[in-house]
Amino acid sequence: MNKTKVYSENSKRGFAPFFENKEYLFYIGPAFIVTFILMFLPLCQIIIGSLHKWEFGKPLFESSFVGLKNYLELNYGYVSFGKSLKLTAIYGFGSLIIELCLGLLVAVLLTNLRRARGLFSAIFIIPIVIMPAMVGLTWKMYLSYDGLVNWVLSLFFIPKVNWMGSDLALVSLILVDVWQWTPFFILILFAGLQTLPKDPVDAIRVDGANAFQAFYYIKLPLLTPLIIIVCILRIMEIIRNFDIVFAIYQGGPGSATETLPIAVWRMFMSQRQVGMGSAFSFILIILSFFIALVFINFLKKTRVTH
Amino acid sequence: MRYELINWKAIFIFLLIITFALFFFFPFYFMVSSSFKQPLDSSIYPPLIVDFKPTLKNYFTIFKKYPMVTYFFNSFIVAFFATLISMVLAIPASYGMERLISKNRERVAYMFLTMQLIPPISMVFALFWFASWLGLLGTYWLLVIGYTLWNVPYAIWLTRGFFNTVPIELEEAAFVDGATRLWVLRKIVIPLTKPGIIAATIFIFIGAWNEFTLAFFLTDTSTRTYPTTLGLFVTHQGILWGPMFATATLGVIPIVFIALLIRKHFVSALTLGAVKG
Repeated sequence: MNKTKVYSENSKRGFAPFFENKEYLFYIGPAFIVTFILMFLPLCQIIIGSLHKWEFGKPLFESSFVGLKNYLELNYGYVSFGKSLKLTAIYGFGSLIIELCLGLLVAVLLTNLRRARGLFSAIFIIPIVIMPAMVGLTWKMYLSYDGLVNWVLSLFFIPKVNWMGSDLALVSLILVDVWQWTPFFILILFAGLQTLPKDPVDAIRVDGANAFQAFYYIKLPLLTPLIIIVCILRIMEIIRNFDIVFAIYQGGPGSATETLPIAVWRMFMSQRQVGMGSAFSFILIILSFFIALVFINFLKKTRVTH
Repeated sequence: MRYELINWKAIFIFLLIITFALFFFFPFYFMVSSSFKQPLDSSIYPPLIVDFKPTLKNYFTIFKKYPMVTYFFNSFIVAFFATLISMVLAIPASYGMERLISKNRERVAYMFLTMQLIPPISMVFALFWFASWLGLLGTYWLLVIGYTLWNVPYAIWLTRGFFNTVPIELEEAAFVDGATRLWVLRKIVIPLTKPGIIAATIFIFIGAWNEFTLAFFLTDTSTRTYPTTLGLFVTHQGILWGPMFATATLGVIPIVFIALLIRKHFVSALTLGAVKG
């Protein structure tokens, strides 16, 4: 950093060419151009398209301009945004809460373990890196009536359940998500727990608190920033999660698992409404930006306090 | 704390962890083991856990019936070039951001991050339109460009933290000796941060290899990538579980292996560098 300042001061005194102060453009420029220009054009198309009643297969200039009508209605045929938002929220918060509790529990257990930590964290890495499409398809088999899940339940004398039915489809979606992403919480929270300062914990233990109290009053508050970061990262992934839902259910049965990305896909492909689909897409983008904004603000705050 | 830990408590904790580890490991084990069962045995009830005779039938089936080698090759080519281009664009950008921008650095970084946060599914149809307009449909380039769009910001965020760890005095010394910034980046900064950069590269490769949404909509039969082959096994007679498990195993095993090699960097990469592992 110092170097940069010295450098720019020198160049101000001399006959510096214009771009010497703008040296960063040479480094950041290419990446900037690629990401922003290439993202910007499709984004424009989405915004313009969302203002038209545009159907699949017709060119844009033949479709009629309807203003904000698409945004005001936000449903067509059986695909509706409100319902999808509700399903996404249930799926998101349901899996988030289970993953967080389970992840925290296992992370704490891991810190109490004296050996074989490496082995267990290696095991926990595996689900995260399996390609989501394959996770979806393999779990489709595990969740079938004669599948692995029902077999495991039968070992505990629980009768077979139809996981693929419309009432349990969302629950089994949460189960798959919990399987794949709880390790994400475990690994990060485990790393976080190990960086916590030891002194406050020792102090409260000396004062006679038990292990649970030490965890609840000292470790948990210290860990809260990290927990919030993990949760927001996960939520951002959940609202864009298309592949697993698509591989297991394609939004079905009926529209029991029609989360937001599936709704976008159905609006384009089965309802053939490009205009409305673009409106869905744009709102989905805005939604992720909003969540990202919360994340960024939070990240800035924690960076300052650290 | 350590002195209070009675033996049975440790055993209880250990058993509990083993239970959880089984929960996370067993579906993976079942996927791999099923790929070595007889094609019809992989979906019978009650499932065969260990008592089966391993066979390579499923693997012969997928290589004979489907152009799996092509799909594997497609996936590799696309993921390789997407990773390469992303890193070539991102390393200078991230270095330039850390060393040459002081006032608005965070703002620029978050601007890149917002690009990464756009859900692929909401852009995929617009990208499809542009691709058909430019005549890119059915080429590798389309997917490479698509992946690059999402991976450049990600790579920038992953590598940012590494460049911060290089002592600035080292670079200054080189400048005093008359080195240019590009030379410093190439000969000092990158060699010093090599492990991190390699880990980030592998991470992006894994992401591109596993990617489904863009690949599903932006490829045709000749450029189809590995994850999108799942549709092949859903037939009118039901799903061909045996070959499906073989395909899944083949696509997943190398990735699991690579991921375990770089597991030290895992936590930091998963959180965009927000948490040091």
